[in-house]
Amino acid sequence: MTAQDYIAPESVGRLQQRGLGAAIVGLVACGIGYFIYGDKYAGQFFHSYLIAFMFVLGLSLGSLGLLMLQHLTSGHWGIMIRRPLESATRVLPVVAVFFLPIALFGMQHLYGGPDGWLNAPPNGEGQLSDLQKSYLKTGGPLGFYGRAVIYFLIWLALVFIFNQWSKDQDAHREDRKLRRRFKMLAGPGIILYVFVMTFAAIDWVMSLSPHWASTIYGFLFVIGQIISSMSLMIVVLIFLSRTAPMEGLVQSRHLHDLGKLLFAFVMLWAYFSFSQLLIIWSGNLPEEISFYRSRLYGGWGFVAVFVLIFHFFVPFFFLLPRDVKRSAKLLPKIAMWLIFMRLVDLFWLTRPEFTRVAVPNLMDLGAILALAGIWLAVFAWNLKAQPVLPLGDPKLEEAIAVHEH
Amino acid sequence: MIQHRSHIYGVIGEFESPEQLVHAAAKIREEGYRYYECYTPFPLEGLPEAMGMRRNMVPLITLIGGLVGGLGGFGFQYWVNVISYPMNIAGRPLNSWPAFIPVTFELTILCASLSAVFGMLALNGLPQPHHPIFNAPRFSHASSDRFFVCIQARDKKFHLEATARFLQGLSAHHVSEVQDD
Repeated sequence: MTAQDYIAPESVGRLQQRGLGAAIVGLVACGIGYFIYGDKYAGQFFHSYLIAFMFVLGLSLGSLGLLMLQHLTSGHWGIMIRRPLESATRVLPVVAVFFLPIALFGMQHLYGGPDGWLNAPPNGEGQLSDLQKSYLKTGGPLGFYGRAVIYFLIWLALVFIFNQWSKDQDAHREDRKLRRRFKMLAGPGIILYVFVMTFAAIDWVMSLSPHWASTIYGFLFVIGQIISSMSLMIVVLIFLSRTAPMEGLVQSRHLHDLGKLLFAFVMLWAYFSFSQLLIIWSGNLPEEISFYRSRLYGGWGFVAVFVLIFHFFVPFFFLLPRDVKRSAKLLPKIAMWLIFMRLVDLFWLTRPEFTRVAVPNLMDLGAILALAGIWLAVFAWNLKAQPVLPLGDPKLEEAIAVHEH
Repeated sequence: MIQHRSHIYGVIGEFESPEQLVHAAAKIREEGYRYYECYTPFPLEGLPEAMGMRRNMVPLITLIGGLVGGLGGFGFQYWVNVISYPMNIAGRPLNSWPAFIPVTFELTILCASLSAVFGMLALNGLPQPHHPIFNAPRFSHASSDRFFVCIQARDKKFHLEATARFLQGLSAHHVSEVQDD
C-alpha cells in the first residue's frame, strides 16, 4: 500500500467543478434578488445567508465531531470515512470567512429589529433579563465579535491538530504514540466542541429571540450538524466507491455501521427536539412559549409537521430494516434527503423570527447554492490533497479486509 | 451398533478448529442435508452463512411488539385522561399528547425488547429441560475447546452408516451416534 495507489479519483475533480458551478448559479440568483426585492434586499439576503452559513458550518463542525468520535472508538466505519471527514474539517477556515459578512454588514438586519437584542431598551417594557443583558450586551457588537473569534480559534485549533497528526501518522505508520495522542485529545475535544457550539448557537441563532432561552438549544445544533455530516459522508463514500482506488473496498458491513449511526442520530435529534417542546409546553410560561407560538401556528405549523414527519418518522421507518442500512442504493438516498431536511429544520428555527410567510424564496436558494457550492468545491480540493484512505492507521488493513463467505 | 431408527437422534462429529467446522458446515449443506446443528464454545463468524441460515422472525416480532407497546401506551393514557376519568389539570387539554409521549416511548422500547427476548426464546424452542445432544459422550467439550456438528436423524438424507462415513470423510473426530431418549 503506497500513497500513489490511493490518490483520489478524477471524479473528485468533477465534484469540485460542480461545486463551483452551483456557487456561480447561487451568486447569480443572489444578484437577481437585488432587483426583485429592492429596499428589502439586504434584510432578505441576511435572513437567508444565516441559514446557509449555519448549514455549511454544520458540515465542517459535524465532521470534526465525527472525526473525534472515530479517534475515540476506532471503528472500521470511521476509518473508511476518515479522509473525507478530515477534508470537511479543513473547509472550516473558509467557513470562518463566510462569517465576516454577518459580522460586518448583517448584524443590524439579523439582531437589530424592533425585538432584536441590539435595540432592546435598557429598562422598562421589552428589557432583557439581567443574565441575557450581561451576556449579549457586554461590549456591544465587540463582545459578539470577540466571542466569535474565540469560537473559531478553538475549532480551528482542533481541526489543525487532528489534521497535522493524521499527516504525521501517514509518514510514521508504526508510531503507536500517535494513536494514544489522538485518543487523549479526542475525548476532551468532543466536550469542547459541544460547549463552544452551545455558545455559538446562542450568539448566532438563539439571540434572534433575545427574550427566550433554552438550555438544550446548543445540543439541537450539535446533533443537527452530526446528522448533516454523517449523511454527507455516506453519500461521499458511495461516490468514491464507484471508481478505483476505493472500488470494491466499501462493504455492506461499513454501510451497516454508518446506517446504524445515522439512525441513532436521527432518534437523538428527535429526542432533543421533543425534550425542549415537552418542557416548554408543560411549563406554559409566556416568555418561553413564545418560541413555539410563532412556530406551531399558521404556515409555520405546516412546516413543523413536515419536519416531524420527514425529519423523523420517514427516515426512522426507512432506516429500521437491516437491508436498507446495508444498501448502497437506498442508504445514500435517505442521507441526501436528511441533508435537505437539515435545511428545512434550520429554516423553521430561524425564519419565523422575521416573517409569518412560511415559504422559502429566491434568496434562500441563492445563498445556500452559493455557500454550499463553495464549501463542496473546497472540500473536493482538500480530498484530492491526500490519499483517500488513512494509510498510517494501524487498523486500516483490518478495516478493508474482505471476509470470506 | 445399528439400532431402530427412531431411537437415534443423529450422528455427531467433532472438530478441533473453528475453520474446520465452518468448512464442514458448508460441505454438509452442499451434500443436501438440511437438519443439522453446530455447537461451538463461542460465536463463529461466517458459520450462519456457511449453514445457509436464512432470515428469522425475530425482527418482525420485535417490530410488532414495539408497535403494540407504542399504540397501547398512548391509547391507554388517552383512554384514562379523556374517556374514563377526565380531569382538568392546569387548564390543559384533556388529550395532552406531549405529556403522553415519554410513557409511549418507554412502553415502545419495553414491549419491543421483551418481544425480542421472548420471541427469540420461543423460536428456539426454549425453555427445554433436556436435549438429546447431551447424550453425546464428549459433548461437554462444546463449551470449552471443541467444535461439534450433529446431523439429525429426521433429515431425509440421513442414513446412519452413510452419514457417519460422510462425517469421517470431512475429517471429523469421534464420530458417533446420539441416542434419542
